[in-house]
Amino acid sequence: MPKLTLNGKEIEVPAGSTIIEAYKQLDEPIAHYCWHPGLSIAGVCRLCVVEIEGNPRLQIACNTQIQEGMVVNNNSEKVKTAVKWGLDFHLINHPLDCPICDQAGECELQNQYMEFGKYDPEMAEPKVKKRKVVDLGERVVLDTERCILCSRCVRFTNEVSKTNELGIFNRGDRSEVGTFEDKPLNNKYSVNTVDICPVGALTSKDFRFKQRVWYLKNKPSICTGCSTGCNVNVYYNEEGVFRVKPHYNKEVNGYWMCDEGRDIYKHINRKSRMLRGRYKQNGVWCTTQALEVAKKAGQKLSSFKGEEIAVLVTGQYTNEELNSLVDYSVNKLGSKSVFHWKNNENNWQDFDGHLIRGDKNPNTKGLQGVLQKYAVGGEWKELENQLSKFKAVVVAGPENQSVYFDIKEKIESLKSLECVVWFTAGENSNFEKLSDNSYLIPQKTSVEKNGHFTNHQGLTQKVEEVTTILPEALNLEETVSLMLGNSLDLSIRDKQEMGVLKTNYFSQERGSL
Amino acid sequence: MEIKLLSEHYDKKEFQSLQGYKKYGGYETLKKAFSMKPEQIISEVKDSGLRGRGGAGFPTGMKWSFLPQNGEPRYLLCNADEGEPGTFKDRLMMERAPHQLIEGMIISAYAINSAKSYIYVRGEYNYPIKVLETALREAYDSGLLGKNILGSGFNHDMDVYRGAGAYICGEETGMISSLEGKKGQPKLKPPFPAIKGYLGKPTIVNNVETLAAVKYIIRDGAKAYRKHGTEKSAGSKLFSISGNVNKPGTYEVALGYPLMDLINNECGGMKNGRKLKAVIPGGSSAPILTAEEVQKTTMDYECLAQMGSMLGSGAIIVMDDSNCMVDLLKVTLHFYHHESCGQCTPCREGTGWIHKIVSNIVSGEGRLQDIDLLEKISKQMMGRTICALSDAAAMPTLGFITKFRDEFEFYVREGRSKVKEVMAHA
Repeated sequence: MPKLTLNGKEIEVPAGSTIIEAYKQLDEPIAHYCWHPGLSIAGVCRLCVVEIEGNPRLQIACNTQIQEGMVVNNNSEKVKTAVKWGLDFHLINHPLDCPICDQAGECELQNQYMEFGKYDPEMAEPKVKKRKVVDLGERVVLDTERCILCSRCVRFTNEVSKTNELGIFNRGDRSEVGTFEDKPLNNKYSVNTVDICPVGALTSKDFRFKQRVWYLKNKPSICTGCSTGCNVNVYYNEEGVFRVKPHYNKEVNGYWMCDEGRDIYKHINRKSRMLRGRYKQNGVWCTTQALEVAKKAGQKLSSFKGEEIAVLVTGQYTNEELNSLVDYSVNKLGSKSVFHWKNNENNWQDFDGHLIRGDKNPNTKGLQGVLQKYAVGGEWKELENQLSKFKAVVVAGPENQSVYFDIKEKIESLKSLECVVWFTAGENSNFEKLSDNSYLIPQKTSVEKNGHFTNHQGLTQKVEEVTTILPEALNLEETVSLMLGNSLDLSIRDKQEMGVLKTNYFSQERGSL
Repeated sequence: MEIKLLSEHYDKKEFQSLQGYKKYGGYETLKKAFSMKPEQIISEVKDSGLRGRGGAGFPTGMKWSFLPQNGEPRYLLCNADEGEPGTFKDRLMMERAPHQLIEGMIISAYAINSAKSYIYVRGEYNYPIKVLETALREAYDSGLLGKNILGSGFNHDMDVYRGAGAYICGEETGMISSLEGKKGQPKLKPPFPAIKGYLGKPTIVNNVETLAAVKYIIRDGAKAYRKHGTEKSAGSKLFSISGNVNKPGTYEVALGYPLMDLINNECGGMKNGRKLKAVIPGGSSAPILTAEEVQKTTMDYECLAQMGSMLGSGAIIVMDDSNCMVDLLKVTLHFYHHESCGQCTPCREGTGWIHKIVSNIVSGEGRLQDIDLLEKISKQMMGRTICALSDAAAMPTLGFITKFRDEFEFYVREGRSKVKEVMAHA
């Protein structure tokens, strides 16, 4: 591995690396816009200039390969002046509309100005006017005045999504990003262009104007949109989850995720959740705490014989949860009739060649492992054929109901049973149709619990509790424990205002005039 | 003194056709070349000291020797996208002697073992394109292009490609992008075209005049070619002279020829007997020379570099005392602002910015600090970009404001041109 000196520090880097990669490895600050580790090198922002000993001209770090013994710095006056001017060139025609720009707070123009700029601007001439609020497609809005023409988005559509929608039109300071003949940017990965846009030129229709980013926290998690298991960052505050962005993982998703996966936060938020536990008695639905419903359901189930009970599971729960449920079924209820409920069977095996898979469950592999361990398992169809055999059914329903297109029919098909116990994170109006002795127990979503998902390639990834959306909701392990008649210490959660939004959150955070 | 090497027969109409060209020894050199080994031709070109005639002045033989020896197909591109303001020598060469260029190109292609070449012609050059296309047809018809040329076993195909009017496509990697069907904008270097060029294959890009000169180097030998010019600037060069002289036009002289002699002898002196004020010696991007500097200038790479300017494409623009430097800078900067491809930030934003500042000065709204600001911006535009267009806008700006600062200051203070004021009273 070649050695070199960066800003006076010696460092060893893999052969073939570029200077900017060495800076990143050393965690030394270096200004840049166009360089992105997941894309080809464009070398157009000209900000990552460095001084290389023996070379009278400043070089760009992104396109200069390391050589043994190189002595490089980016803290000399010469470099600092060049970076300062480089930033000014970026800003002279920029509208500086930060107060109404959605990128504010996570904008590289702001960040890098604060880190490398801080000068008195000298531009007194009128700025170039360009198109604003251009509707690029289903999910993305473009503001060409804010655009600094780093070409990241263009390279993304050329190299990663391979859909080639975007290009840079016109030339000089009239250059604008756009699509040919204004065709829409509608590929399945389009919002990645928003993530990699260093400024507020590309914004997400779904997220814009919903939150100022400085009121959001974020924690890593796993996307539950399909069996790929992309690593993500979940952005949330006390109002709920607002967006999901990809988190780099070389083994799984690289720097990217699909647009569909970005919607998973929608079924996490309160709006689509089952807020309280419910059970039906004498034709009337009674609402109470989830743990009460779980206890009642456990008592009811104990009145059936093992062979009268069927258990249905989806790959939407963690390994730990699935294990406790199947164990409960086999060892406590005495039922070996455990069935695997899949989303749309016809495109179960689909794969788009990049990230999106037809198996819309984050933990199918994990579920298969658990079923194998207990030597149980079967398909929903098998259950249908012998439904009359059963009197009670326990369903670990999908957290993300939108990918289970048959959920309505499935609920209806269980109407005839004496007892249905359904674990669900989401609300569904069809539950009303269930007969007496039905128990609906609100479950936590993937961002509210700890556990592991095993993705399609057999890689087991950890999920950690990101936030609490519904303090009342339970995970499967807790539910099973309650059904067994154990008591659960929920005192900590009881102290939280169950099911009530902290309405004074913003006045607390933002203060008042 | 004017010499007649490349331009010997430019005055003869028949030289345009294959038949006429052959009458004056046309394609005889090609036969000679085929009797030599490719390496011999390359070493002959190296020995001749020929440097690129398009602007950068890079030694041609050395450029050729950068090609990797890995059996990949190579391309030869002739840069005929003559767009530098003030330059019109390639147009003349293509119009008057298309076969001279074609012969030079076949020899060069043979030397670098290339089976395919393109002549990338500036889009506005309607007539030269027509002439070249006719000449190519003639060459194909008589077996000078295609398979097994003149029984040598060497195959070569040549095409004319018409540009679409962008100055930046005269930059070699911009030309390659355009030829590949992409937006004409320069590519990041390294890799250089000799390693990875047209369609990702090794590519040599040479100017029209360079390729035509190869013919004469092979015909007469490197030694004979070196008789013209100086040690570091060998051979002859075609200069396009425009501006306030009596006989503007294209003249071929040996490199190292005094600029004043060129103006006074070949061009018949200053128009209307006016006083020489300044000269741009190498196309609009070359820093301007004042009248005193012109007295000491010889037209070769070393002398002009020493004067802080450059030989460039050999476009000499002569200005007399009636020309206002502020107005001229505005016109020049309008050009670069219009032509910047917009890829690199310092050029995209800088060319527009300095154009706006100078336009403000011309419209009487300049501020005194604008002159220093122009200088600061220009310095930060130099050496910061993928190609040299940014430098090409910054260099004349710096030249104009350092050498004619009084005119700029007057314009800012008074809101009108100093020169025009003097002219009105004269």
